[in-house]
Amino acid sequence: MDVRQYADLFLSESREHLTAFNQLLLEWEKDPAATEPVSGIFRAVHTVKGMAATMGYAPVADLAHRVESLLDGVRRGERTVTPAMLELLFRSADGLERAITESVTGVDAATAVAPVLAELDAATAAPGTGPGAPLRESRPSVPVIVPGTGPGKGRTVRVVLRTDAVLKGARALLVLRKAETLGPLSAVTPAPAAFESDAFDGHFSFRLDAPTEAAAIVAALGRVGDVEKVEVGEETAEAPALAPDALRSRHIRVDLQRLDELMNLIGELVIARGRLHAIATRFAEPDLHDVNGQIARLAAQLQHEIVAARMVPVWQVFDRFPRMVRDLARQTGKQIAFRVEGKEIELDRAILDEIAEPLVHLLRNAVDHGIETADERTAQGKPAVGQLVLAAVRERSTVAVKVTDDGRGINREKVIGRARQMGLIDSEVAALGDEELFRLISKAGFSTAERVTDVSGRGVGIDVVATAMRALGGSMEVRSEEGEGTCFTLRLPATLAIVRALLAKVGDELYAMPLTHVAETFTPRAGDIQRVQGREAVLLRGDLLPLIRLRDLLGAAAPAVPGRGQPVIVLELGERRTGVVVDALVGQQEIVVKSFEAPRGTLPVFSGATILGDGVPALILDAGGLV
Amino acid sequence: MGHRVLVCDDAIFMRTMISDILTGAGYEVVGEAESGVQAIARYKELRPDLVTMDIVMPDMGGIEAVREIVKADPDAKILMCSAMGQQALVVEAIQAGAKDFVVKPFQPSRVLEAVQRVLG
Repeated sequence: MDVRQYADLFLSESREHLTAFNQLLLEWEKDPAATEPVSGIFRAVHTVKGMAATMGYAPVADLAHRVESLLDGVRRGERTVTPAMLELLFRSADGLERAITESVTGVDAATAVAPVLAELDAATAAPGTGPGAPLRESRPSVPVIVPGTGPGKGRTVRVVLRTDAVLKGARALLVLRKAETLGPLSAVTPAPAAFESDAFDGHFSFRLDAPTEAAAIVAALGRVGDVEKVEVGEETAEAPALAPDALRSRHIRVDLQRLDELMNLIGELVIARGRLHAIATRFAEPDLHDVNGQIARLAAQLQHEIVAARMVPVWQVFDRFPRMVRDLARQTGKQIAFRVEGKEIELDRAILDEIAEPLVHLLRNAVDHGIETADERTAQGKPAVGQLVLAAVRERSTVAVKVTDDGRGINREKVIGRARQMGLIDSEVAALGDEELFRLISKAGFSTAERVTDVSGRGVGIDVVATAMRALGGSMEVRSEEGEGTCFTLRLPATLAIVRALLAKVGDELYAMPLTHVAETFTPRAGDIQRVQGREAVLLRGDLLPLIRLRDLLGAAAPAVPGRGQPVIVLELGERRTGVVVDALVGQQEIVVKSFEAPRGTLPVFSGATILGDGVPALILDAGGLV
Repeated sequence: MGHRVLVCDDAIFMRTMISDILTGAGYEVVGEAESGVQAIARYKELRPDLVTMDIVMPDMGGIEAVREIVKADPDAKILMCSAMGQQALVVEAIQAGAKDFVVKPFQPSRVLEAVQRVLG
């Protein structure tokens, strides 16, 4: 059988186990006496080993096996955990990650794992680790999972244990041992690691690559005890692509591309529904209105379901950060307590993937430039251990992700100095509000870090993060207090692709404004608009609201129709507000966002385009670019 | 018939009960051990046809003992005696080389079935 088709699945699943490996290592490091992390790591590594062996990735399986051996000694109390061993295990996790990536991309990972393999061997063989530490090589192994054995003849065997059987997992293992005497096994489902769990229900299957008669297989396995039923499939050359386990499981894995495609199709459906609606309003035909209403409801439900299917909890990305922060703290010699909050909050998979890199950047910044060394902190009367918090919070239709540290805060004097140097501000500016501060530090090439460090590197700044947020239809803000710390907030739409938007007209063109950032709309009287420092503004409930005329911004030739007051859309981004003056408001509608590659040189105010129900295109305005 | 058995358990009660079940069925209990260390020594000395092995025993547990016995005699036939909820340990024992297991509380018929399977 060709196992390569399972490579993606292998990759994503192994990574989950590696994340668990890292998480548990961190727990273990905090409390070396704890035993749960050890067994957890053991299971994770064990599973990776089994999967890698099935895939034929020998270096991965080999490395996993040796980690297992080392842990086994600890589990048995033959070996005590030392900081050096933990370091080695952290390196092993990295080695596994690398070996997995290389193997999947078709590179032989043997060279990559060699150094850490040698270290593990040395550690396992190290003297003073207890008498008679048994060599793991002498240990009878778990039923051998033979890597893709090629197109030999074989059968799928399904076994059901008696429901009243006790310790079903152990019994299943005995069945496998028996089966092994008949021929090589592969595709054991569920993975043998599941047999150690009490949740194992006694149903399992495997492929037996041997020309044995079905009756002989049934008889041999039936003798193991507690076996209710043995089903032997037809002799085939290929193992079935779908493991029976996947059918029983309540979750299946779906390629993200499939979901994207489904989302696109539903997008088209929503558009078609809009057209149907537009047509239906032209006819007084009750049946047409009925079916139109029904289709609208169904499309809405379908859309809701697919959006929900794309949502994943943020821990899927956040869980890799504790390890990263730990390593960074070590490199920089700082003491940092890192906390992750709101792990269960869900985001669209695509958005979550996109914010991973920006978050890495913000966390690195916080460790490198934000949090001070223990000595500095103590000298300032702060606790020696710096606090770093990554939190996800649900805010109506958006999700806010905050990176907060209690470090030294952004040095405004330096920012002002650098901004003057770059000619970004007038020389008389002496103080900066948070918004102005953010505007400056998010300028390309703006960085006050004095030297290039291993951690933060050079060249990537807050501007990159800000740009990434805008591309996602989100926004970003900063609050910083010198000596107290810094908090970056990323505001993201919980889902992409379909958003509710306000449609506005300028001239004959339609523009869509995602409702996420629309606070309200109103129509000022002509006399209400005043000029303040060369800009138009209007008083709204006592506050001055700066105005932008979309018509001017777009360079539309024809002047606005005079007379009637023009409506203003109030955009809100964090605490910044701006009023956008348009010719007319058209209404609210769900729009399907089509990604938009703006040609260089065009206005940075559009984040995408959409096609409305009646087939008319509209550009989507990016609130981040306007406010 | 007449297979020779070594019974390992740290509780006299359990050893007695297992011995009674086995002798009642015509097996010969040739020795007893109350710890892993003792089990290994007695095994090497007696070379029995079958060993019943408790998992949790003082002075080296049953799993370790299985490992050592199998190392000395790869054909050793060992039947684990486990309590409920020791799945992971039993799995480990099987990986170490145990041939089958029975779960406490013992039902004589189940014990004898398992013994026959191991010897068969």
